[in-house]
Amino acid sequence: MNDILHPRPNPIIAAMYTLRDLDADVVLMHGPAGCGFMASRRLEEAGVHVMTTGMRESDLIFGAEEKLVRILRDIDDRFNPGLIGVVGTCASMIIGENLDGAIKKADVQATVLPIDIHGCSGPNTTGAIAVLDAAASYGLITQHERDRQKMLLEKATLIEKERGLTSKSYLKPHPGTTKLSAAQAIVGTLRKGGKISVVLNAKKETAYGFADIMRAVEHARSVVGGEVHYIGNLDDKVGLPRIRRYASNILRDLDDANVIIESITGGLDEYAVSGKKAAEALKQCDADLRIIAGLPHTVPDLSKNDVLVTDQARQIRNYLEKGFTIAVGELSTHADVMSTHTVLRSELGETIRQVADGGLA
Amino acid sequence: MRQLAIYGKGGIGKSTVSANLAASFAESGLKTWYIGCDPKSDGSMTLLKGKQIPTFLEQMKDGEETNTVEGFAGIKCVETGGPLAGVGCAGRGIIVAVQELSKHHFQQDDDILIYDVPGDVVCGGFAAPVREKYANEVYIVTSGEYLALYAANNIARGMANLNVTLGGIICNSRDISDEKHIVEEFARRIGTHLIGFIPRDGVVRDCENHGMTVIEGAPDHKQAEAYRQLGRNILENTNLTIPSPMDPEDIRTMLREMQR
Ligand SMILES: Nc1ncnc2c1ncn2[C@@H]1O[C@H](COP(=O)(O)OP(=O)(O)OP(=O)(O)O)[C@@H](O)[C@H]1O
Ligand SMILES: [Mg+2]
Repeated sequence: MNDILHPRPNPIIAAMYTLRDLDADVVLMHGPAGCGFMASRRLEEAGVHVMTTGMRESDLIFGAEEKLVRILRDIDDRFNPGLIGVVGTCASMIIGENLDGAIKKADVQATVLPIDIHGCSGPNTTGAIAVLDAAASYGLITQHERDRQKMLLEKATLIEKERGLTSKSYLKPHPGTTKLSAAQAIVGTLRKGGKISVVLNAKKETAYGFADIMRAVEHARSVVGGEVHYIGNLDDKVGLPRIRRYASNILRDLDDANVIIESITGGLDEYAVSGKKAAEALKQCDADLRIIAGLPHTVPDLSKNDVLVTDQARQIRNYLEKGFTIAVGELSTHADVMSTHTVLRSELGETIRQVADGGLA
Repeated sequence: MRQLAIYGKGGIGKSTVSANLAASFAESGLKTWYIGCDPKSDGSMTLLKGKQIPTFLEQMKDGEETNTVEGFAGIKCVETGGPLAGVGCAGRGIIVAVQELSKHHFQQDDDILIYDVPGDVVCGGFAAPVREKYANEVYIVTSGEYLALYAANNIARGMANLNVTLGGIICNSRDISDEKHIVEEFARRIGTHLIGFIPRDGVVRDCENHGMTVIEGAPDHKQAEAYRQLGRNILENTNLTIPSPMDPEDIRTMLREMQR
């Protein structure tokens, strides 16, 4: 058995995020108060109301169906939501709560999806797939869209296992190599008239943070010269409406910064497969320096002196252990992007701008 | 596809009834499943010449593909299995196994499923087989004794609460005087009916000792005919109701009245 010791997201969290992607108004956790608490805070920033049935010891013993029914009706009355997702937790599912039955009993105005998962149901993507299954069976998405996303999620799970967070038994968080050294390498290459390619292969909303690197590199090019090629998974014609919105907002902001993406590798939910296309585009470019931002390990055939940029401290450790020399951490990305509709300034981006403008030697 | 679940007090004869019913259905050519939901995994042995089979949950735990085993007359036998007494959560085991079965095993052309539900699990796992999509027809096994009726009444209360339909009461006799009438009257009072009467007979244990049901071990015995008759009654049964349980005190009163 290969036990993996570091904390990581579970199906409950993935289900909550997928409900957000479906534009659910309310995510109701059927379980103890505090379950999914940190994720709830972020989702609230994104405009989702996260609520809990706050199960207690006596609910574990006697079951909490009545409580769930009562709370569903209350939520329906008070907030008038269009779509509610009831997400199972370890506590409720182990004692065998019947989410579907309770939802039928509550018989509320809102569409209510039962998400029959808990923390031990498997890899985190299981939770996302459960939401897609429920959404498809309630006709909120097509079967085709469900199949497409399921394939992508399974691919993502596999990549994590092969090259990502679940490929190692324990990863200690690492803050990342310095932004200054990365910025100097980037600006230095441009100043010598060199060629850089920038790949954005990011997961959903995090692209609002990583896309800034493209803006910064383009700024540097306009100041010191050189040649840059931009590659990104920013197709705004695939995926759920919310995800397309992210892509078109980002494309708009990049356009304002004179960044032209010459190779669109897929949509923002396609990072698990678009990495391969990014690798092909990278090969075509044959640049002197390559920057890969978002989830660099989803792009195959990287070389050890590529500039990798990601948002998870354990992933950075993973890259450095694999022998990559420049792995920059934009560690606050996920927290920062939750409520945005525009590309945000990133630390590496700001450093690149400063170096290019001569603010640093 | 008919989906039956057999409930009743611990030790009352659920597994014996379930296995003999399965055998009677299978010998008449129906594609039949026996699904033992008891962690002690003893119910299918009389369909498998006394052998124990690898349990479903053990296979799932080891990451194997789940397999079913064919028993007497092609009956597909499953034991969900579960933890040893005193550890883990047997109820959760039943939930998981039942989900896995319905997801990966049952087929369009299966005729009849029988869930043999343990008498002693009372948590959510107890209800797992009667969740929507799984079993929709419950039969409660009882004798004419107070405690067996008391347990049957409790189960009826659970079913009413879950909005599950009862197909009837099976009397597995303990040789109580006037037993058939007692159970008939009890069934009537909770809003259902007696669907079959199984006499008490030593041949059951003789066959059990050979690892067989009565249907297999003593096919010409009148006891085998009793199980077959029960099977026919169930197949023809259209009288499904949500039960209305009695006040337990009224069960005693009823028994006292009937003794007179
Ligand atoms: N009609 C009968 N005549 C004689 N013996 C019987 C009859 N029915 C059941 N028995 C015997 O009673 C014993 C208990 O039966 P069985 O195991 O079927 O009960 P159960 O309800 O499944 O028990 P548990 O609650 O432990 O699962 C067995 O040894 C069986 O042989
Ligand atoms: Mg039994």
